[in-house]
Amino acid sequence: MVIEFRIKKCRHIITLNLIGEKKMNLMADILLNVTVAFLVGSILFGLQRKVMARIQMRPGPPIIQHMLHTLKFFIKETVFPRTAAMPFYVAITVILCAIWVAAVIIGPVTHGPLLLLFAIFAIHKIVEHNAGSSSGSPYGKLSCVRAVFSAAAELPLFAVLIIVFIQTGTMDLNGIIAYQAEHGALLFTLPLTAMMFIALIISKSYYYSPLNITLARDIVSGFETEHFGTLRGFIMISEAITWYMLLWIFLTVFLGALTPIEYLIGMVILTAIVGLINAVTPILNPNHSIMTEVTLAFIGIVGSLLMIFFL
Amino acid sequence: MDNQIFYLIYVLAFVIGSIIGLVLSYKKYTEPFIRKNIDITALAIAIIGWLLALNFALIPVIPYYISITMGVFLIAMVIGMRPGYGRYETVIGFAVAGIIWILRTVLS
Repeated sequence: MVIEFRIKKCRHIITLNLIGEKKMNLMADILLNVTVAFLVGSILFGLQRKVMARIQMRPGPPIIQHMLHTLKFFIKETVFPRTAAMPFYVAITVILCAIWVAAVIIGPVTHGPLLLLFAIFAIHKIVEHNAGSSSGSPYGKLSCVRAVFSAAAELPLFAVLIIVFIQTGTMDLNGIIAYQAEHGALLFTLPLTAMMFIALIISKSYYYSPLNITLARDIVSGFETEHFGTLRGFIMISEAITWYMLLWIFLTVFLGALTPIEYLIGMVILTAIVGLINAVTPILNPNHSIMTEVTLAFIGIVGSLLMIFFL
Repeated sequence: MDNQIFYLIYVLAFVIGSIIGLVLSYKKYTEPFIRKNIDITALAIAIIGWLLALNFALIPVIPYYISITMGVFLIAMVIGMRPGYGRYETVIGFAVAGIIWILRTVLS
C-alpha cells in the first residue's frame, strides 16, 4: 500500500509538472514572439526610411533609428496635457499595445482564426480614433475624425477575408496554410486580392505613406501628437509590432508555410517596395486617399470573384 | 522553440552590433560621409562577418548558431555605422562571401 501511495503521489507530481511545463512553454513562446515582432518591426521601419532616403539621394538615418527613438521615449519625462481625458488618455496606449500583443498570440504563436486578426485591425481603427480624441489636441482631433472617415477604406480588409474564405473554405490560418501546401500559393491564384492587401499595408505604413491619413504630416503626428514619454514609447512599440504583423499575415495568407528566414526575406522585400512607393508618391488628401483605396478594393473584389468563378 | 530562440539571438546580435558600430564610427569619424574612402578595418569586419554568416559550414568545429551569431554581430557593426559609412564595405563583404558560397554549394 505504501508503495502504491508513493507511485500515485509520484504520478500526481509528474502530471502537475507537465501542465506547468506547457504553460511555461506557451508563455515563453509569447514572450519570444512579441520580442522578435518588436525588434524586427523596428529594424524594418529603419530599413524603410533607409530605402526612402537613398531614393532621395540622402544617406538616411541609421537602420536602428526607429528602435533608438522608441527606447529614448522611455527615459523622457511623461507630460500629461491639461486637456487630456484621464484615465482614458493613458489607457488607450495600453489598449493599443495589448491588441497587438494579442495579434502576435493569435498569429505566429497559435495560428488561430484569421477572423480574429481582422477584428484586431478593426479595433486598431477605434483605438486610433480614441487616442486622437483623448488628448484634446486639435491635431489629435483631426486624426480622430480621419480615423472615422477612413473606416470606409477598410473595405479591402473584409474583402480579403471573404475572398480567401470563398477560395479556401476556411478562416483558420492552419487551414489556409494546408490549402496552399496542396493547391499552391494564393498569391498566384488570387493576385488581385493580394494587391488589395498590399494597398492596405501601404495605408498602414508609418513613414510618409500616401494613404495613411491619420498619421499624415499635415496634422503633425496625428493621434500621437500629444502623447509624450513612456506613453509614446508604448505607441511606438505597438507600431513596430503592427508592421511586423501586417507583413506576417500577408506572407502567411498569400504564400503559406514559410521558414523564419523566408519570412524575413519576404518582409525585407515588402518593406523595400513600400519604402519605394512612399518615397515617390505624394501624400494624398483624405478624399483622394479614401477614393484610391475604395477604387482598388472595387477592382480587387470584382476581379477576384471573376477569377474564382470563371477561370 | 529552439530555432526560434536562435533567431531571437540573431536579431539581438544584429541590434547590439548596430549600436556598437554606430557609437564607434561616430567616435572615429567626426565629419559626415563625403570622401567616400573604403575603411580597411570595416572591410575586414564585413568580410569576416559575411563569411561566418553565410559559410558557417566551412568551420565545423564551431557550432553553426555561434558562427551565425558572431557573423550577424560583425555584419551589423558595419551596416550600423554612421550614415553613409560602411555601405561599400558591406557590399564587398557580401560579394566575397556570396562568391565563396556559390563555389562551395553550387559548383562543388
